[in-house]
Parts: sequence; structure tokens; C-alpha cells
Amino acid sequence: MKFDHILVRYGELTLKTKNRMMFVYALRDRMNQALSNFDVEVRANRDRAYIDINDENPYEIIDKLLNISGILSMSPVVKIAKSDDAMKETVLKFANSIESGHTFKIEVKRADKNYHLDTFGIQQLLGGQVMEHTDHLTVDVKKPDYKIMVEIRPDAIYMYYDSIKGLGGLPLGTGGKALLMLSGGIDSPVAGIDLMKRGVEIEAIHFHSPPYTSPQATEKVKKLVDIMSDRTGFDIKLHIVPFTELQTTIYDKVPDNLSMTSTRRVMLRLSEKLSEKINAEAIVNGENLGQVASQTLTSMYAINEVTNLPVLRPLLTLEKNDIVAMAKRMGTYETSILPFEDCCTIFKPKAPKTKPNLEMVKKFESNVDFEPMIEKALNNIEVYMPSKESEEVDDFSDLL
Amino acid sequence: MIYFDNAATTKPYQEALESFNKTSENYFFNTASIHQSGKTASKLLESARQQILDLMFLKDYDLVFTSSATESNNIAIQSTLRRKKAFGSTILTSELEHPSIVNVLEEMKNEGFNVKYIKTNSAGQVDIEHFKSILDNDTIFVTTLAVNNIIGSVQPIEEMVKILKDFPKVHFHVDATQAIGKADIDYRGVDTVSISGHKFNSVKGVGGLFVKKLANLSPIQYGGGHEKNIRSGTVNLPAITSMAKALRLTLENARAVNQRLSKFNDQVREAVSDLKSIYVQKKSAPYIINLSFIGAKGEVVVNALSERGILVSTTSACASKLTTLNETLLAIKMDEAVIEASIRISMGKDTNQEDVDELIKALKEVYEELGDVLA
Repeated sequence: MKFDHILVRYGELTLKTKNRMMFVYALRDRMNQALSNFDVEVRANRDRAYIDINDENPYEIIDKLLNISGILSMSPVVKIAKSDDAMKETVLKFANSIESGHTFKIEVKRADKNYHLDTFGIQQLLGGQVMEHTDHLTVDVKKPDYKIMVEIRPDAIYMYYDSIKGLGGLPLGTGGKALLMLSGGIDSPVAGIDLMKRGVEIEAIHFHSPPYTSPQATEKVKKLVDIMSDRTGFDIKLHIVPFTELQTTIYDKVPDNLSMTSTRRVMLRLSEKLSEKINAEAIVNGENLGQVASQTLTSMYAINEVTNLPVLRPLLTLEKNDIVAMAKRMGTYETSILPFEDCCTIFKPKAPKTKPNLEMVKKFESNVDFEPMIEKALNNIEVYMPSKESEEVDDFSDLL
Repeated sequence: MIYFDNAATTKPYQEALESFNKTSENYFFNTASIHQSGKTASKLLESARQQILDLMFLKDYDLVFTSSATESNNIAIQSTLRRKKAFGSTILTSELEHPSIVNVLEEMKNEGFNVKYIKTNSAGQVDIEHFKSILDNDTIFVTTLAVNNIIGSVQPIEEMVKILKDFPKVHFHVDATQAIGKADIDYRGVDTVSISGHKFNSVKGVGGLFVKKLANLSPIQYGGGHEKNIRSGTVNLPAITSMAKALRLTLENARAVNQRLSKFNDQVREAVSDLKSIYVQKKSAPYIINLSFIGAKGEVVVNALSERGILVSTTSACASKLTTLNETLLAIKMDEAVIEASIRISMGKDTNQEDVDELIKALKEVYEELGDVLA
């Protein structure tokens, strides 16, 4: 079956009235970005978008759009002139592409009520056409295997039989910006992508402690950012913060069982400062209530105390299994489980407090002036922008 | 020397040898090492894996690299059967399998499994009606090769996938060793698929197992877990890049090569058609011609041709030391006389017109020479 367009149906943004076009334009930009390697043209109207796919494979294009937020569903369609003959000709192509023994039904949607046939008339015309010229299908109006959809629009008629669910949510860039604390584990990339679904743009912060943490651990986080960017069609900027000095200081000055709490507090302070700099209005992380010692309610209370910014935790109440499933779906799982030490695992205390006492933590921290070290770390941030293609693939081309 | 034994093994593409050499020289590192060079080697490995998955149209599958199709078959059979024991005990297999399937299944009988053979039709394909009739709720494993190594018959894999949709317990394994570049088969829906590099002009010692759901497999040999925790042992990266290269070239050239070989196949058939003591098996995959000089043992004909510098084989080189009659030919109900006399001529990408002319000449000479013993 040869299609010429993809019909893109919008998600929740159709609930918007006054500023809907702002959402539509944001979505159009995202689609264009995700499809930059394809020879296609995106036309986004108020109610839906059409992608002229030229000779590209429609399903490859849809695959690229599966993780673009704001899309409810997509269908490869054939666009035809508004005439009975054009419909009759095209419906046969659809019928012939269906394997023998299946059932079908013609379903009609009329946005243009002025067409000379009504719904029933079109069903009769096209159903009759299929029955007359083919003998491998039967009609079933209740539970057909295939619904051949015919949409009569003001500009043309669109025919299709396949509809693929999109991500839903709101177009990226319509919901402000947040800073994602990206450790390299399974949870934080999922939290980031989940928030992006609500239209929030993301920049990411990662802490590394060379030489205790390896270059591979940082590479892994860059790779995660690459994957997330590819999946969401949005280039996520990654800020890599040198954390060795702060971490060794905490290790020195704060008792082992409270060092984790202090470490998290300092990380959050750094995140808050960076958020101010990049105009992020919230911090987002992959915390999950009760998963580890730093993620009990008491720990969150003690850690969160250092900032007034909202700390968003999209995964707060999910089951670990569900998070893993989401990570697999988003393509971050395989990278997340690569076994490189990050700064949290190397300095991990033997028995971290699940109920850290905030006053105690503050008392130990008061012995140290973290501020200059925090400033220094912020001034030495390395910024990484996701790479589109990995050059190595080209390097290997003569071998493969 | 004129080589007509490409179903046994093939000569590597020059490019595939270069890939092997360059990789050995520049990327000899262990793909599991965490230093920079190990990481680069690992990236090369993943690029090769991705390329092979893409070429086979199995993007959603995993690929475990192994040393051979024999190893791939062993992993698929042994690990799946042990896991599925609770669900049933019946295995269905075609009668046309290679020893790396048959002998594993025979071994599994000792662990309590029950092996049933699917009948073969006269075209050398599994009989679909019989397959349906013996498929039942106790069946947990179905295995067939994709292209038979003796007569080249192409199996109805897509149809079997469709039938098995109603039998969710069943793990469907396909041994595609002989099929690469020879037959256009859609493997999507098959649970595991074995391939072997040296059958399509890569270097030897490398194979692969495509896996629909990796979690369904477990290792049968234990070690460092290199390949997806299924297959241990330092990864043979040079051979793997060689195989990726050979697969690409093979599939790129497949259409042209098959057209040429099909023409040659017809020429040979035509040339022996009036030699009344020669029986030729029906044409399937164009690269194989299986024929019998009735009255003479296959071995005698192979030796006579060999003296003339033409290399063919009796049945399957892997099994030709076994003295029993060939299972494939038995399965398609050939007379003992035809089976004993059969030889396999298998062409490859390098086979040219002069080779075929020489072959025809030699077949006729041998026919004359053996005149007395022939039926």
C-alpha cells in the first residue's frame, strides 16, 4: 500500500482555545526537528497536521514521532480528489492490500457536509465497489478486521485504515523549563522524559568526581542525553559539574552515616544555583519514595530543606518494575545498566541513615564553608550538547 | 581446481578478509575491557550487530554472536527446552535437519522429551497439513531448517509462523544456515534463527543466533557472559566484522548471483537430460543440484570428478562420514539406489560459465567411464 501523507491528530492541546496556535507551532517545530533527516513537509493546521512524505517510508516517519509529546495518534493516508471515481479507485487499492479471508467495513467522517453523497451513500458506493471487484474479503459492520476510513474534508478526501497511538501530552516548550538531576541510573532519564511529556523543556546536571569516577561513567550520561534527545526530538543540554572537592570534603567532615544526606544537600544547592543561571523554574529527579535511604520521606525532608525551588518527582509512587519497563520503552535502559561507578556508589556509606536528623546534619555542615567550593564547581562546569550521529559508525564503514 | 561444494563452505570475499585483517590489527582489544580502546572495539561490535540486524530486517531482535550455527542451534534448543519443561514435552522437527539439530534433539530425549517428525512432501518441504495435525497442546518446540542442505528445498517458514500464532507455548527455531542470500524469507515472528558466516563467504569460526526475546534464553556454557549473558568467551571481533561485511555483500549481490546460478542450474539439467541413468532431484534453491548416477555409489562419482579437478560432495560434508542413508532423500521417498548414488553439486558467487562447461564435460566423461555399472 502506497501512502502519500501522514495525518497527525493532536492530543490535549485541542482543549486550548485562545492560545492554541502557540501549542500547534511548538508541536510543528518539534516534528520538523525530529524529521530533519527525511524529505518531508509538515503542515500544521489548527485541528490536525498533515505530513507530505514524498517517497519516504511512512512507518519510519511515524516511528520518529512516537515520542514527540502532543501527538494523540497518527495514520498513513492517501489524499485524493473529491470525486466518486477517485474514491472508487483508491478503495480498491486498500482492499487489495488486505490479505484474503479478512473482514472490512467502510467508515465515513464528513467534515465537509456539502459533498453530494452522505455517509450511507459513500458506504454503499465504496462497499459495493470492493464487493464487485474483489472476492477475497467479506463485510462485517460490527467487528471488522479492517476499518477503511474515508474522511471528507473541505480540501480533499483522505483514506486510511491504520492508526498508531502517539505519546499524548503537550508539545515541548509550552511548559517552561526544569533542571534534571541525571545520575546515570535507570530512574532519572525516565523522570526527565516523563516531565517533558507535559511540555516542559529540560536541561540536565550531572556530578562527576574524577578520578574516583571513570570517564566511562560520564560518557554513559552523555549517551543517555543523546538517547533522550533523539527520542524527544529536543536537544537536551548537559551540565557536568566537577564534584571531587566537595565530595571528599564531606567525606572528611561529616560522619559516615550522614554523609549521604549532606552530599545530596550540596548537590541540590548546586542544582538550585544552576537553575537560576539557566532560568529553570524547577528541579526534577528520579526519586521514588522508599527506594533507597536517600529517598525516604524523612530524607527528602532533610535534603529538600536547602532549596525553595519546586523539586518535581514524577516517579515518586511508581513500582520499580514499571519504571524499568518505561526505561526499556524509551531506549535508555540498556545504557543505564552499564556497570560504571558514579559518584554516589563510590562514596556510598555502609549504613546510611534512613531517618537523618536535620539538626545533626546542619551542625556538621556548619563546620565547613561550602560556598566557595560550590562557586568554584559552578565555574568549572563542562557543557555537552547531544551529538546527532556518532562519528564512529562512519569510521567503521570500511570494515563493515 | 573447480569448486562446486559451496553448500559445505565458501571462499571468503576479499573484502571480508580485509575486514578480518584490519580488525585484528587495529581493534584486537577485548570488547569487555573498560579502557578507551576496549570501548572502541565494543562500539565496532555493536555497529556490526546493528548492521546485521538491519540487513536481516530483524530490527526488533537481539543477536548473540557465536562460533558457529552448531553452537547457535545448541543454545536455542538446550536452553529453551530446559526452561519450557513445565509446559509440555513434545518437540516437532522436520525430517530434513542437519546433525547439529538432530543429534541435540536425540540427546534431549534422554531428558524426557518426546521428538516427533513432521512428514516431508515430494518437493522436500515440511508437509503443512501433517504439521498442523500433530501440533498439539503438549508441543513446546518446533524446529526446521530454512533451506535444506542436500537438495536446496525452501521451507514455508512464514506459513509456519502464522500457524504457530495459535500456539503461544511453542518456541519456533529456524536453522537458516543454508538460506542466507539463497532464499528470500521473512523471519519476523520466528523465536530464534541460526546463521553461520562461512556459508556466505565470511571467514570461518563465526555464527549468530537471532533472538526475538532475549529473556527466554539462558547460557548452556558458563563464563564471563560477554554476549548478552548468553554466550561467554572473548568476542571474536575480527570474524564478526568479516561476517557483517560478507552478509552485506552477499545480500547486495543476491539477486544477480541467483539469476546467474539459476541459468547454470538449467544448463546442467539440460546437459544430463538424455543420459538415462542419471536421476536429477527437482530444482529448488538455484545453487544446489542433487543428482544420482544410478548404479554407482555417490562416493565413486565424487572421486571420479575429483580426479578431473572438480570438487563436489556426496550428501552433506558434515555427515558424510556417517554410513547410514541420507535422511533428506529418505524423507522425500527416494529409492535406495537413488540415495546411494546421489551427489551434491553446489555453486557459489564465483561460479562462472567456464566452470559449468567443465562440469558438464566431466559429468559426461564420468558417465561414459562408469558405463558398465550404471543401471
